[in-house]
Amino acid sequence: MDDRNTLLKEIGEVSFFLDDLRLYLDTHPLEEKAMDLYQQHHQKRMELLKSYADKFEPLTCHCIDLASNNSPDSDTRYAGRKHWTWSDGPIPWDTAANACHTAGILKGGA
Amino acid sequence: MWSYEKRLQFPVHITKTCPKTASLIISQFGGPDGELAASMRYLSQRYTMPCKEVSGLLTDIGTEELAHLEMICAIIYQLTKNMKVEEAKACGFDAYYVDHTSALWPTAAAGVPFNACEFQSKGDAITDLMEDLAAEQKARTTYDNLIRIIDDGEVRAPLKFLRAREIVHFQRFGEAMEKIKEKLDEKNFYYFNMEFDKQFVKG
Repeated sequence: MDDRNTLLKEIGEVSFFLDDLRLYLDTHPLEEKAMDLYQQHHQKRMELLKSYADKFEPLTCHCIDLASNNSPDSDTRYAGRKHWTWSDGPIPWDTAANACHTAGILKGGA
Repeated sequence: MWSYEKRLQFPVHITKTCPKTASLIISQFGGPDGELAASMRYLSQRYTMPCKEVSGLLTDIGTEELAHLEMICAIIYQLTKNMKVEEAKACGFDAYYVDHTSALWPTAAAGVPFNACEFQSKGDAITDLMEDLAAEQKARTTYDNLIRIIDDGEVRAPLKFLRAREIVHFQRFGEAMEKIKEKLDEKNFYYFNMEFDKQFVKG
């Protein structure tokens, strides 16, 4: 599994943890332990998103940094040139963007 | 306001073309208990929901349903993107193909187009939350049925994830219902409609 897929898998896992916890906190707004977990994992997600954007391309509009992602290895037709990076990388609904996690998940017995 | 994140909530990686499977799963896109109806149900109901925490929950679940809609569309897209006309004809996907080629269009498995009548936005907190609780269970049953029919592990994995989310949402809506009850007349929950008779709502 390459670096891109490893990072995407980690982002997917921590983001889902937060998605689920957010709904829990919506109905349990005073639960300290859940709030601590939210804070920790939110911090982790922000770091991973930044790391992914620095190495590959932005996953959210908040991660767009036009000074980065201009390397000759970028997944874009404008590799090596300063360009609008929001459309770089695989399309989310294509298999290429989802190759990473599947093998591990299917091991659980689908 | 929403912002987009360029990834699916749970990965969809399907390598085998199967328009037959797509024709069944499409119900969870545009069918009566599908993800489009779910998202629109919650996002429509939230405006008049008198309890701020509950309208916040409706926003968050309605938003997650949009991510589920995207996963369902990704499943259908991957199942049909390389289909041949002969394959579409052999499994009865040809009628859809004539109108939509391999594009995504919201419809129920039986061919009924998406219809806003599939969900209610009734303007009564008890009524709307009961609708939401039932909707999550109906979607869960649909996923149960799909998982019974479909053998391909690559398709089953995201369906199992989506099924589990219906159960979590059901749980959260149940908790929301309890919050709503705290604001009602404890002797008669139907004494007033808290979305309309605002003067009776407990602080």
